[in-house]
Amino acid sequence: MNEVLPLGEARDPTVFGSKAVGLGEATRAGLPVPPGIALSGQIVEAVASGEEEAVSTVVRLAEHLPLPLAVRSSAADEDGAQASFAGQHLTLLNVPSPSELASAVRDIWWSANSDSAITYRQRVGLFTRPSVGVVVQSLLNPDVAGVMFTQNPMNGADERVIEGSWGLGEAVVAGTVIPDHFRVDREGRTLERIPGLKQVAIRALPGGGTVEEAVPAGDVERLCLDDRQLNMLSELALRCEQVYGPARDIEWAIADGTLYLLQCRAVTRSGR
Amino acid sequence: MAGAPIELLEQVPLFSELDRGELEQVARLFKERRFSRGETVVMEGSGGAAFFVVAAGEASVVVGDAQRPPLQAGDYFGEIALIDEGRRSATVTAASDLLCYGLTFWEFRPLVEGSEVIAWKLLQSLAKKLRAAQAD
Repeated sequence: MNEVLPLGEARDPTVFGSKAVGLGEATRAGLPVPPGIALSGQIVEAVASGEEEAVSTVVRLAEHLPLPLAVRSSAADEDGAQASFAGQHLTLLNVPSPSELASAVRDIWWSANSDSAITYRQRVGLFTRPSVGVVVQSLLNPDVAGVMFTQNPMNGADERVIEGSWGLGEAVVAGTVIPDHFRVDREGRTLERIPGLKQVAIRALPGGGTVEEAVPAGDVERLCLDDRQLNMLSELALRCEQVYGPARDIEWAIADGTLYLLQCRAVTRSGR
Repeated sequence: MAGAPIELLEQVPLFSELDRGELEQVARLFKERRFSRGETVVMEGSGGAAFFVVAAGEASVVVGDAQRPPLQAGDYFGEIALIDEGRRSATVTAASDLLCYGLTFWEFRPLVEGSEVIAWKLLQSLAKKLRAAQAD
């Protein structure tokens, strides 16, 4: 279907991709998801082809979102239990205005059709035409962000494993920093705090794109999360498990004191 | 019309035998792709599934250690990967900001399978390439 919907109305993963539908489910369940829209695979195809009607539809519906925007792929077979497309499909942070969405969507379409993505698809037995949905959301300007596993991915222990760093969570996801590491039990008690080495923070630039900024010396090894924030994350883990089930891989961010859920997916065997 | 400019595709030997209507069909399947100066466009040895026509800018080509003539507007590369799903035979790097139009296996194959005329003309085009390669 040639559709663009508010995230909360995205329900069919074959149309919008698993990331959009996961965030739609979270939105409907009242989880703290930044506002956004979901683009179907068909409209992404049309936008990438330069079809003017599709481009104007997407731009019109994105105009109500607070700027800047984060644009992420949501392929129909992405982030499944058998294969993780992490690192294959592009994410474009800090797209400054809806008028630049067409170019961002086209770049994401190509990332799913790049040589490396196609090679990966062949390797995992998915040599089929990629259907790439796209999620467009308001980009947060977080003080701290990172990832959380609702169950220890290393040994299966019934505890939360949290990794965080300053600024946008891409520093953690991309391995740009050694993040702070926390383990929290199901009752919210902190079991372990290990400071990382957070020498850079990724921040949005005013004109679009992102930059790696040096972190002040006093913050490099200072823990980025306090007990109150760890409690907030622990509660988010519980709510995600109630909505999605056990063993979730969560991306989160804290901006102006508010915790947001950026992504929640099943833990894949291949890891992040 | 969305897709690649017809005038650009008319310069591509792979499509040289297509008439205007067939060319318009193919053109609609192309998508614009931009590369920044210094960006690797395709890497020798990697899997490949797209064919590109250069619309503006210049790209360098290296096979093994050997530098080959650069690609400029109207040149094309990667067409064999559309057909045999094979490995890239060269590394292509954007020597300047580069505007290309790309066509993937996923769009191309149904078009060829659905049109005997296009399939036959493609065979003729490839046969010409084979004869030219044998004559070298």
